[in-house]
Amino acid sequence: MMRNGAQVADSLRLLISSSKSATYVEARYHSRVGSEVNFVNGELERIRVVENAGCGIRVLVDGCWGFTSTSNISNETLKESLSQAISAARILARTKKNKVKGLIESKMITGTFRTSANSGNLSDISIEQKVQVTKEAEKEARSNRLIKTASCTYREMLDHKVIINSDGADIEIHDSKPEFSVTAIARKASQSATAHEGVGITGGWNDLFKKKSHLEYAYTASARAAKLLDARHVSGEKSTVILDPAMVGLLSHEAIGHTVEADFVLSGSVVKDKIGSKVASDLVTLVDSGRSEIAGNAGGTIIVDDEGVAAERTAIIEKGTLKSFLHNRESAMIFGTASTGNARAFQYSDDPLIRMRNTYIEPGEDKLNDMIKETKHGYIIKGARNGQADANGEFMFGAEEVYLIENGEVKELLRGASISGNAFEVLHSVDMVGNEFQYDIGTGYCGKYQPAKVDGGGPHIRCTAMIGGLQE
Amino acid sequence: MILDLLQYAIKQAEALGASDAEAYAAINNESEVFIENNDVKQAKSQSTSSIGVRVVLDGSIGFYSTNDLAKSRIRDAAAMAIKVAHASPKDKHNILPRKSKSKLVRGIYDRNAESFQTLDAARMAAEMLKAAKSYDSRVSVDSGNFSAQVATDALANSNGIELKERTSVFSWSIMGMAIENTEISSFDYQVGGSHYVKDINVSNTAGEFAETVVKSLGTRKIEESFKGEMLLTPMAAKEMIEEVVAHAINSDAVQKKSSHFAGKIGRQVASDLLTIEDDATNVEGLNASSFDREGVFHRRNVVIEKGILKKFLYNTHTASKDGVKSTGNAGGSTSSPPTVSTTNFLVKPMRSSVDKLVSEIDKGIIISRFSGNVDPVNGDFSGVVKGGQLIMNGTIKYSVKEVMVAGNVFDALRRLNGISRERKVIYDSILPYMRFDGISFTTG
Repeated sequence: MMRNGAQVADSLRLLISSSKSATYVEARYHSRVGSEVNFVNGELERIRVVENAGCGIRVLVDGCWGFTSTSNISNETLKESLSQAISAARILARTKKNKVKGLIESKMITGTFRTSANSGNLSDISIEQKVQVTKEAEKEARSNRLIKTASCTYREMLDHKVIINSDGADIEIHDSKPEFSVTAIARKASQSATAHEGVGITGGWNDLFKKKSHLEYAYTASARAAKLLDARHVSGEKSTVILDPAMVGLLSHEAIGHTVEADFVLSGSVVKDKIGSKVASDLVTLVDSGRSEIAGNAGGTIIVDDEGVAAERTAIIEKGTLKSFLHNRESAMIFGTASTGNARAFQYSDDPLIRMRNTYIEPGEDKLNDMIKETKHGYIIKGARNGQADANGEFMFGAEEVYLIENGEVKELLRGASISGNAFEVLHSVDMVGNEFQYDIGTGYCGKYQPAKVDGGGPHIRCTAMIGGLQE
Repeated sequence: MILDLLQYAIKQAEALGASDAEAYAAINNESEVFIENNDVKQAKSQSTSSIGVRVVLDGSIGFYSTNDLAKSRIRDAAAMAIKVAHASPKDKHNILPRKSKSKLVRGIYDRNAESFQTLDAARMAAEMLKAAKSYDSRVSVDSGNFSAQVATDALANSNGIELKERTSVFSWSIMGMAIENTEISSFDYQVGGSHYVKDINVSNTAGEFAETVVKSLGTRKIEESFKGEMLLTPMAAKEMIEEVVAHAINSDAVQKKSSHFAGKIGRQVASDLLTIEDDATNVEGLNASSFDREGVFHRRNVVIEKGILKKFLYNTHTASKDGVKSTGNAGGSTSSPPTVSTTNFLVKPMRSSVDKLVSEIDKGIIISRFSGNVDPVNGDFSGVVKGGQLIMNGTIKYSVKEVMVAGNVFDALRRLNGISRERKVIYDSILPYMRFDGISFTTG
C-alpha cells in the first residue's frame, strides 16, 4: 500500500523535533513492494507479491547507537519506538569502551528523488505480462535438447522512502529495481553443466530488456550450458588471465571493495595504513559510486544514502594509488574525512551499514583483440559466480566459463573454475585494460548481516592470478 | 487473537472464490546486540509481525504477504492473492494438507526468554568479546552479535488445520582474525545457539574462535601440489558438503532433474560410514519445531543410512506429484509460499576421536573453513582452504596458506573414511568432523 509521502514526512518531522535528549536521531520510513515470478521446467515454481513497510529509528545517545523499528507508524507508536531506541543506546553505554565521537558534518540533502524509470514504469506492467515473459524465456531455454532443467526468474523491488534526521536531511525517494535471470542445466550421461544469464538494473521494464530480449538471455544461457558439457576441466596453475567485465566487477567488489569499507578497515583490514600508497598498477582506477557512471541503469544506484548524504563517485584507487576508504558519517569522523555516502539499510527494519553501491574499474585504451593477441599462454575468464574475500586480501571467486589462449589465439572452452590470489598482487599485475565498459553483476546481492543490491563492472583487464583445478 | 485473524483471511479468500486458502503468521520479538571492531556497537530491539496468504483458485495459486496486520490490510491481501492466482497457470498438485494428529515438540520454548532483555543481550555480547580477547592479545574481533528471539508461528487452512507454537532461540556469532606485527591470519567464524537461557555459553564459542585464528598465524605455503586426505571441521563440512546433499535429497530438485540422487533410492551413494537425518524434532538444532510451513507435523527422516539412499524430503505439493506423503519439509517464511527445505541436518557420529582421525593421516590437510564454490547439481567444488593445517605421518606440521582444494562432493562421499564422535551444533546443523581421501590440493 502506497502511503502519502507528505503525510509520512510530517509525522517523522514531528517525531524528530520532539526528541531533545539524543545527539542524533534518524527516522527512515521505507515501504517496499516486491514481486517474484519463477518458472522451472515449464511449471510455475513461485509467484508472490510481498509488501513490507515501516519505520526504522536510529539514535546516538551517550556515544552509543540504539535502533528500533516498527511497522505501525502512528505518531504514538513512533514516539514509543523512539524512546525504546534511546533506552537501548543507554544500556549499551554501560559496556561500550570506545564511545562514538560524533558524526562528521556533511551536507544534508533535501528534496524528492526518483531513480530513472523513464520507460516502462514497473507498476504499470501487469502481473500477467511478467508471468508471460518468464514463462516464454524458460521454455526457450529448454528448446536445446541437451538442456534437461531450466529456470527463469523475474523479480522487482519498488521502494518508497522518507528519511528525516536531526541534522537536517529531509528526503523522499522513489526507486525501482527489476531483475531477470535464466539458468540452464545441460546433461548427458553422468555429465552436467550449468549456465546463468541475467540482468539486474535500476530503472523500468523497457530498460531491463534494452540490451537483449528475454528470449536472447534464455538462448545464450542454454547454448552455453550445452557447450560446457563437453568441455574439459582446467588444470590448476598460476597464469595470465583476461577477466571479463563481470569478473572485473566481482574482483572490484569482493577483493578490493570489502577491504576498504571503513568499518572493516578499523578492525584491521590489510589496507589499514595504505592510503597514499601504491596498491595497484598505474592502469587501475577503481571507483565506487551511488550514481550510474559511464553506463546507465547500474543496479546499485542510490542517489542519496540513508544518512542523507549524496552518494557520489568515490575513487578508491586512482592510477594505482589508494585514495579513499568507503565511509558513513561515523567512520568519516574517526578518519577525519568526508562521508562518501555509503550508509545503506536493506529494509526499514535494518540499520544503515557501510555498503558498496556500483563498484568498477574505469576503462582504459586496449582493445580486447589486442589483449588476446599479446597473450602467449593464458585464459579468458568469463561469467562471474559468487566470490569471497578475506581480511588479508586473499580472495577467490568462481567463473562459469574459461577459454584457453595459446600463442595469441583463443583455443578451447574449458569448464568453470575458481580464480584466486591476493587482491593487491593481482591488481599490481594488471598490464592491459580494455576500452569497452559494462556493468554486469546487477543480479547479485551483497551480504553483510543484511542484503544490499549492488552492481559492478569494468572493461576487460589482463592480469595474473591462480586458476584452480583438479590435480590429475 | 492471531488465529482469529488467520480465519478471517481464509473466509475473505473463500468469499472471493478460492477453493482452498491458507494463512500463516509470524510474530517475532527480538533483542540483538552487535559487536564491531573489538567493541559492542549497537543495540537493537524490535517486534515484527507478518502474514502470508496463499489461495488456490481453480487449481491456480496466488500469494500475497504483508507486514501490516490491520483487518483491512488482511482483506486486501486476500484480494491481491486472488488477483495473482488469476495470472497463474493451473497445476492439479496445488493442494493444501489435511489435519493430522501428532505430539508437539517439547524443549524449544523457555519462559525465561520473555524476561530476557536488551540489557542481558548486551552483557552476553560483552562476555563473548572478553573471552576472545583474553585468550590471546593477538585476537582481533571484526564483528559478532548476540540475539535473543521469541517467535510465535500460527497457521490455519481451509482443511481445518489450526496450529500455534512459540519458540525461543538465543544465537550468537563471532568473526575475526589474529594479528601479529604485519601478519594477518585467515578469518574465522564461529556460532553458537540454544533454546534455553541456561544453555547459553558464549565463552566456549569465543574460545574456539580465538584458538583457530591464533593457530592460523605463522602460515607457510605447502611445498608442492598433492593428492591426499582432507579432514573437514563441522563448519567446513557445512560449507562444503551440506548444501550439496541438501539439494540432492530435496524432492523438488529430484522432480526438476537437478538432483544427482534422482532414481537412486535404495542404492549406495556414500561410504557405509555415512548416516544422515533431517530432524526438526531434535531440540539441539535451532530449527526445531512441531510443524512445517504448511502445518504438517515434523518427524525424524533418515535420508541416508549406512551410505544407502533411503528417501527424499517432501512438502505437500511435491509429495502429490510423486503420489507419496509429505515428510513435513515445507519450508519458508510468511513472505513466500512453501518451498521444500531441510529442518535440522544431522550427520550421525562414529566412534573415532578427532585426534585419532588426525593420527591416521599419512599426508593431508585439516580445513577449518572452506571459501569457495560448490555446485549443488553436479557436486563440483573448488575453493581456498582457510585455517588449514598440513598433516604428515599422523602429526600436524604447520598452518598453510594459499592452498586451493578442488573435487566433487559425490565422489568424496564415497571416499569418506572417517567420522568423529565429537559433533558441533551450527544453528540448524549437527555435524561431526569428516575425513576423505583422494582430494586434490593445489599451491601456486
